Amino acid sequence: MALALEMKGITKYFSSTDVQANDNVNLTVEAGEVLALVGENGAGKTTLMNILYGLIKPDSGEIIINGEEVQIGHPDDAIKHGIGMVHQHFKLVPSFTVAQNIILGMEPNKAGFLSPKEENKVVKDLADKFNLPVDPKAQIRDLPVGMQQRVEILKVLLREAKILILDEPTAVLTPQEVKELMEVVRDLAKMGYSVIFITHKLIEVMEVADRVSVMRAGKNVGSKKVSDTNIPDLARMMVGREVLLRVKKDTIQRGKPVFEAKDVSVSDVHGLAAISHVSFDVHEGEIVGLAGVSGNGQTELVEVISGMRPLDGGKVFLNDQDITQANVRDRRNAGVAHIPEDRMEVGLNLQTNLDENLIISRYNQSEFSKFGFLLSKSIHRFAETVVNSFSISAAKPGEDISMLSGGNLQKVVVGRELSGNPSFIIANQPTRGLDVGSIEFVHKTLIEERDRGAGVLLVSVELEEIMALADRILVLFRGQIQGELEAKTATEEEVGILMAGGKLSDLVSKQPESGKESK
Amino acid sequence: MKNKKFQKILDAILIPVLAILSGLVLMGVLIAITGKPVWESYGVLFSKAFGCEKASNCAIITTLERATPIMLTGLSAVVAFRSGLFSIGQEGQYLMASVVAGWLGYSIHLPNGVHQIVILLACMAVGAAYGFIPGVLKVKLGVNELLSTIVLNSIATLFIEYMVQFPMRADVSTTAHSPIIDVTAQLPTFMAGSKWGVGFVIAVIAVIAVYIYLWRTKSGYEQRMAGQSKRFALYGGVPSDKAAIRAMIISGALAGLAGAVEVMGVHRRIMTGFSTGLGFDGVTAAILGQTHPFGVFIVSILFAGLKLGAQLGLQLKLGIPRELGGTIIGFIILFVAASKFYEGNIDRIRAWFKKPDKQKAKGGGD
Ligand SMILES: Nc1ncnc2c1ncn2[C@@H]1O[C@H](COP(=O)(O)OP(=O)(O)OP(=O)(O)O)[C@@H](O)[C@H]1O
Ligand SMILES: [Mg+2]
Repeated sequence: MALALEMKGITKYFSSTDVQANDNVNLTVEAGEVLALVGENGAGKTTLMNILYGLIKPDSGEIIINGEEVQIGHPDDAIKHGIGMVHQHFKLVPSFTVAQNIILGMEPNKAGFLSPKEENKVVKDLADKFNLPVDPKAQIRDLPVGMQQRVEILKVLLREAKILILDEPTAVLTPQEVKELMEVVRDLAKMGYSVIFITHKLIEVMEVADRVSVMRAGKNVGSKKVSDTNIPDLARMMVGREVLLRVKKDTIQRGKPVFEAKDVSVSDVHGLAAISHVSFDVHEGEIVGLAGVSGNGQTELVEVISGMRPLDGGKVFLNDQDITQANVRDRRNAGVAHIPEDRMEVGLNLQTNLDENLIISRYNQSEFSKFGFLLSKSIHRFAETVVNSFSISAAKPGEDISMLSGGNLQKVVVGRELSGNPSFIIANQPTRGLDVGSIEFVHKTLIEERDRGAGVLLVSVELEEIMALADRILVLFRGQIQGELEAKTATEEEVGILMAGGKLSDLVSKQPESGKESK
Repeated sequence: MKNKKFQKILDAILIPVLAILSGLVLMGVLIAITGKPVWESYGVLFSKAFGCEKASNCAIITTLERATPIMLTGLSAVVAFRSGLFSIGQEGQYLMASVVAGWLGYSIHLPNGVHQIVILLACMAVGAAYGFIPGVLKVKLGVNELLSTIVLNSIATLFIEYMVQFPMRADVSTTAHSPIIDVTAQLPTFMAGSKWGVGFVIAVIAVIAVYIYLWRTKSGYEQRMAGQSKRFALYGGVPSDKAAIRAMIISGALAGLAGAVEVMGVHRRIMTGFSTGLGFDGVTAAILGQTHPFGVFIVSILFAGLKLGAQLGLQLKLGIPRELGGTIIGFIILFVAASKFYEGNIDRIRAWFKKPDKQKAKGGGD
């Protein structure tokens, strides 16, 4: 088949971070091909795509489209040459309708007036043509993430892109949405479109892509036909060493309960019940996995446990102490660590440096401040310790963190939270957007913490992560605990049924059905 | 390491410097349009702003004197802005403190040294209280601090005018003003014939104190974190509400100090039309000074100089209206606001600066 795109010798050096983000990268995509682009966090995938889309100027290199060398200095040029990009963080206007967002900037003009009817029709036709049903009149803010992504894709298609770049499109999707997206991508390829699909989930590579290119430290270290490779092979190419895709875990004796929730109810931001009458506990030396499709109350539950959100009813205990009324700081001082799901907005302050990010929950301790003054030397030393013991090579004490890649940012959060021997760890989607090597690292660290005697509440929408780490599994469905399973005997099928709101009795099973606490 | 620090400072001052240069160029254009000599105007402007012909009549000294209150109200704005509060209440806090300074200056009698300190402290307290109001309204009731400080500014403007016209009026025959304050209430000056004095020292100490407070203390850290990211502060257990109120109190106290220094060191009374917008100059100095105390230090001197140069140089010598000084400042602000305009070029400049660096990094083999 004909080459739709060829990138030759792309090189980009970022002086502000002293990073060779792209180092003489060659990349080809055929028409009608899905190319997966994988690589560790910070390998330079997004940079390469931003160069292709005209957001970043390369230091050197050529871009050849349909056999002709082109200059792309601006996204407008990229669009002109049939390149479209869906960013990981969507760029839609929440208060606009689907149609307004898709049409934005190219409204059919009726003597200077907008014509919503016309716009809706254009979008409807487009959606039909690509078999991507959307409601043109719906407001973006009311749509689930998967639907918003579809809007982004339609937006790109309307601009007549023939090469679509999807930067980590599945990171925020539910498994069902991922499945739908895969079908969309395959359909597009069948219609002759080329798709560059960035992902950290190698299983998705195997499912959706024709070919895969692996990047490491700014270089393209190999391109292969998907049929000629397998997941362990890709993982090795990415990381440059053998990776444990499923970390080893010994069974250990759990201790006394460290955390307890009793009959907890919480409302969401709109005042609607998000969690109703939930009770469970987490013991020392135990990882409790809280499974569930996202949006079933996980966010609210975690905010209540960490003290960020007041609860409507019920009580929470830490080491037998009632902490229902305790604020965030008291809880943290009492030994609660919290890896939040949103590292960019909640877990980190990207406007300040590494040191100040690392002391956010401990600047009051005598080690870091005296007589109201910060002890910058010992803070700096602490930063060095965290950087070394969690090998966050990219982060440097005293320097800004805003340019770190997603994986390194997450390492900063994990390093901060797991320093200082917490007794109870809330880990909410701790590996979202991380590469296989970093996932291995986070998983290993969580298990080490458990072995040390900490209680861990692992909240994850990834069934695999729950199955790999948890000792006990709770399934959250519509704000309630739909069931509890012993991890050793639980099957993915059982958890899946509970996640969908079913009952275990629907399945011929040896597990007793229980929504209650096992004492 | 050193190089990085230097780079950071360079980044921080690049936009203000470019904005100021653009403003000055535009000034030349305007003067050329009016048909006055352009080069001579620049010369006069600078010599009357920053020159020093003879010790008894030294422009730079007057500039420093005029910069003092701007510096303090600028610091006040820095403390508020860094804490995520867009308070423009400096003018009101400054005026309220001025009334107190004027009043305590003649109504109580204390020994030299004690009297001044009492007034300084009282003015800070009044400014702090006048800052506390919008702070508490914001935290407890969610009232936007921008709106509440605008209202409080108007109240203060009317209040000082009332005090000057009626209760504190000294002499009914001339324009309204309060009695001259006691000698014990005045701030000493450094040289005869100029009012540059202890007030400036107070302002410089405040610059350093604010820097240390914001970047070296726990409270300052809390305020900056809460100001930069509310969610992050909540997540980390930072008491944001307390930090916000504290920020407003400190901000108010600094603006109050400006009032004290201006009354005790310069005017020695309050009079009708006392409000000349020094509070707003502070807001501008804070923005142009990259909301940094050291930036405020430089910018306030620059502002005071431009105003003085326009007034004494352009107006008196060349007959160019002194409002041109204000116009230039306006342009400079506009250029800062339009900093996107420079961004592309800045990248180019930066790349140029960085080139040798890169080769070094490569040569050093990582
Ligand atoms: N605008 C920028 N300025 C300076 N450095 C940058 C910039 N953008 C990216 N970098 C650096 O370049 C490297 C590559 O980043 P990039 O975002 O391309 O990685 P990635 O492969 O997309 O990683 P991830 O999987 O985490 O998204 C990183 O080390 C990053 O810190
Ligand atoms: Mg990326």
